Amino acid sequence: MASDWKSFEPVLIPDIPNLDKIDNYIKNGGYKALEKVVKGSDWKPGDVVNEVKAANIRGRGGAGFNAGLKWSFMPPADGGPRYLACNGDESEPGTFKDRKIFEYNPHLFIEGALIAAYAMEITTIYVYIRGEYYSWIKMMEKALQDARDKGFIGKNLFGTDYSVEFEVTGGAGAYICGEETSMLESLEGKRGYPRVKPPFPAQKGLWGRPTTINNIETLANVPGVINNGSDWFKSIGPESHPGPVLYGISGHVNRPGVYELPAGMPVMDLINEVAQGIRGGKKLKALIPGGSSTPVLRADQLEGVSMDSDSLREAGSMMGTAGMIVMDEDTDMVDALWRISHFYHHESCGQCTPCREGTGWLEKILLKIKNGEGEIRDLDLLLDLTTQMEGRTICALADAAAWPVRHTINRFRDEFEARCKKSVHAVA
Amino acid sequence: MPEIFIDGQRYEFEEGDDRGVLQFILDQGKEVPFFCYHPAMSAPANCRQCFVKAGTPVKDRETGEFELDENGERKIRWFPKMQTSCSLGMQDGMVVKTQESDEDVARAQKDTMELILINHPLDCPICDQAGECPLQIQTYKYGPEGSRFEVKKQHKPKRVELGPRVTLDAERCINCTRCVRFTDEISESHQLTIVQRGDKNYPIAAPGREFNDPYSLNTVDICPVGALTSTDFRFKARVWEMNQTPSIDITGGKGTNVDLWTRDNLIMRITPRFNGEVNDHWMPDAGREAYKRFNENRISRPAIKLDGDNQSKTSWNNAIETFAETLESHKPEDVLVIGSPHASVEENFALMKVFNLWGVNNFKFAPHIEEGAGDGFLITDDQAPNTSGVKLLGYEESNDLSSEVSDAEIVIMLSDELIDRGTLSKEDLKGKFSILLSTNECETAAVVDLVIPVTCIAEHAASYVNVEGRIQRSFPAKETKYKDRSLDLEMNQGRLDRFGTNFDNWVTEENKVDCVPAWEIMNQLADRMGLEVKFGQSREIMEEIAGSNPAFENVSYERMDNEMGINLNTSNKQEATA
Repeated sequence: MASDWKSFEPVLIPDIPNLDKIDNYIKNGGYKALEKVVKGSDWKPGDVVNEVKAANIRGRGGAGFNAGLKWSFMPPADGGPRYLACNGDESEPGTFKDRKIFEYNPHLFIEGALIAAYAMEITTIYVYIRGEYYSWIKMMEKALQDARDKGFIGKNLFGTDYSVEFEVTGGAGAYICGEETSMLESLEGKRGYPRVKPPFPAQKGLWGRPTTINNIETLANVPGVINNGSDWFKSIGPESHPGPVLYGISGHVNRPGVYELPAGMPVMDLINEVAQGIRGGKKLKALIPGGSSTPVLRADQLEGVSMDSDSLREAGSMMGTAGMIVMDEDTDMVDALWRISHFYHHESCGQCTPCREGTGWLEKILLKIKNGEGEIRDLDLLLDLTTQMEGRTICALADAAAWPVRHTINRFRDEFEARCKKSVHAVA
Repeated sequence: MPEIFIDGQRYEFEEGDDRGVLQFILDQGKEVPFFCYHPAMSAPANCRQCFVKAGTPVKDRETGEFELDENGERKIRWFPKMQTSCSLGMQDGMVVKTQESDEDVARAQKDTMELILINHPLDCPICDQAGECPLQIQTYKYGPEGSRFEVKKQHKPKRVELGPRVTLDAERCINCTRCVRFTDEISESHQLTIVQRGDKNYPIAAPGREFNDPYSLNTVDICPVGALTSTDFRFKARVWEMNQTPSIDITGGKGTNVDLWTRDNLIMRITPRFNGEVNDHWMPDAGREAYKRFNENRISRPAIKLDGDNQSKTSWNNAIETFAETLESHKPEDVLVIGSPHASVEENFALMKVFNLWGVNNFKFAPHIEEGAGDGFLITDDQAPNTSGVKLLGYEESNDLSSEVSDAEIVIMLSDELIDRGTLSKEDLKGKFSILLSTNECETAAVVDLVIPVTCIAEHAASYVNVEGRIQRSFPAKETKYKDRSLDLEMNQGRLDRFGTNFDNWVTEENKVDCVPAWEIMNQLADRMGLEVKFGQSREIMEEIAGSNPAFENVSYERMDNEMGINLNTSNKQEATA
């Protein structure tokens, strides 16, 4: 697979103009999968779940959990409300892939969400889009209205007794609202505070009712699985992490952007061929593979690494959202880490002590080091703080803040030490 | 019965017990430090202080038996992360390790404590919370020895008046959200929320709104640091300078259990005292303001109207003599005795007993009800603490007191501001000889012919029956001119070793009121009139009531103290069935 990526035909954002227009989308085979499962007598909701489970769509929001398996956690329908909440809050620095779907192929996502809702016998879908994506919120509203006008949303789909509603909610600019349970809080009109789990959303989610939360890209993969079967999906990319992936490449490359390619792409191919190499002919220094919270990898650690969870875990990092931040040889790692820490300090919701206080402390020490006022012992304090934060909070934001600090210092220690004061002053 | 092992010790709990592990540990008399958890509210698990290690035994899927390791001990599957014990439910066979038996747990708690303290101002010397501050106490016990924080602290708003009664110092706030949850879950006013993010966040009311919840001051009590302070009390007294005396709220019929905090014979503040049967952990703000009544505007020494409308102070002998002479120049049928729902059972009883012996049989009282004032929680329509008690003693409820008064020649009133609250008018008392036993100066006291000062709830031990028929009692919290607290056995003394030390500053003579308990006035009157009555301490009066009035059967101070009050309705029912 690694070599044949050049012949890969994009399915999420194919090169078809005006696909965001519903007529165009339908003309290109759109909403067929939805019709197939809702109307067809051979597709019971459970069959859809099983098909998606078999396809092993690993959640594209960062955690990489099998989407179909997640769907199967929903308790049996009891006649009460159940919800599908689609997470379009992508706010992690380096991640900008869902935007592409909102913009170029919104109906693919809508169709996927509708199939997911049918599979879990859900009658209300919410899509939560980050507030900064104002124009994409407006576009999504229009796309949903178009789908409603065509009868894909609303009462009695395709003349069956299945009815479904679909609403857009905009965020207000908080990264934490991308965390699934604080997204639910935000949808309920509350302050975006992550919830204590258990209970998990499948038991007690939105307004205390069973809820499944999926990433936009994850859902956009669903119609393909229904149309072409799970085997087709699994044939793309590595078996353990199959399917097409939207790689968001940013940083010091000649052609940054979102590229749809099979999962498991060789990292160096992505940098050198897809993104056409490092800007100005410089050398590669480091890569953050999946959004700012995933541990940074040195160029020498990237040998033979491919973009799938297993390969990246072996290399010492994570797949995350496949939002790759490429850094060239001129990058100041102290500066880069300080900037990342600044982000997490700014975005910590403040609920849990280790994260609320720890993120600020990390940033302040890094600023000190960046300004040449740090000492070697500050590096050890930073590493100590990461253990005081990791795994000690309700959600994973503290982990996301701690990992970059720990791994960047460990992997670029000499650069940090060089910035610290030369003399160690005595501690009174 | 399900079992749980805490630090190697086995405990049993009932099936379906939904207490969290933290509450269970606390209930065993053990300790795990915590800040955000409060037993009356939901557990948000946000302070991350109550970390424990926890695990559950591994069961064989087929046999359902516990799997054993090579030593024959149960195999335990430990949770991969430290668990916050407040939000951790108990399971059969669960194994929990606290800071007492596990170094990692102690380390994790110390880590959290260090982080809580980095942005905390550490201004304990000028903070009102010092001395009763969970953060201070737990830092001593579980915190790090020093801080590694060498960078600038986060600055936040200070001296923010959230509402008429509560002032916020946002820098001291540790964001436990207890105050926010209080307004959401207990008072249900939803007036507070956390604003800002991360280390900038703090609680506040919505823009343009005040935090004027009638229960707002409870947030000051539950705030685990000095972030929320009482605007009235802040900077008035240090905690360790005050004595804490249990008492009852007298501003309503609920019988809310309170503590009176005394310094140099002045009540400095009133805080709620836990009683699960009555008020839980809470009290209305109005009840806290009653402390002023105990200190200010008190009647000290009797006063008498000699000529015209002007009263002048007189001696106790002269007051009792005038009282007796007035009675002797009339017949018992001319006398109306008005009991008071604002006075205790013992006071009302003493009054009734003495006049009954002398031949009076006209005993009335006017309930103090404000329709619609109650909220179904701790504020009641009934504005008096002892309406039920007065009724049970046999005082007849009167809704037209002024016509009762017009039929009498002598009107004897017990601590009730009848003119102030509009039950009587000044004209009603014209041409009568009126006597008032009162604690505070008021319009009523100003117009009567004889005013005799009596002790208030802060100065005597006495009982009050609340709207639900629950009898509860007070303890004397301050001295009078004639009471030496080291000699008064009913008096709560705080620390016994305080007497005679430099820290015991009960020296200001002006803070003592020249008054005596109503039953002692009745003693003197009975003595002067040759009646065979001699009341001892209020404890003995309650024994006499219990022995003579079936409604109070088996009631005693000892039982009230042990059982945190006695419900007269149910205890009588039990008698009936027994």
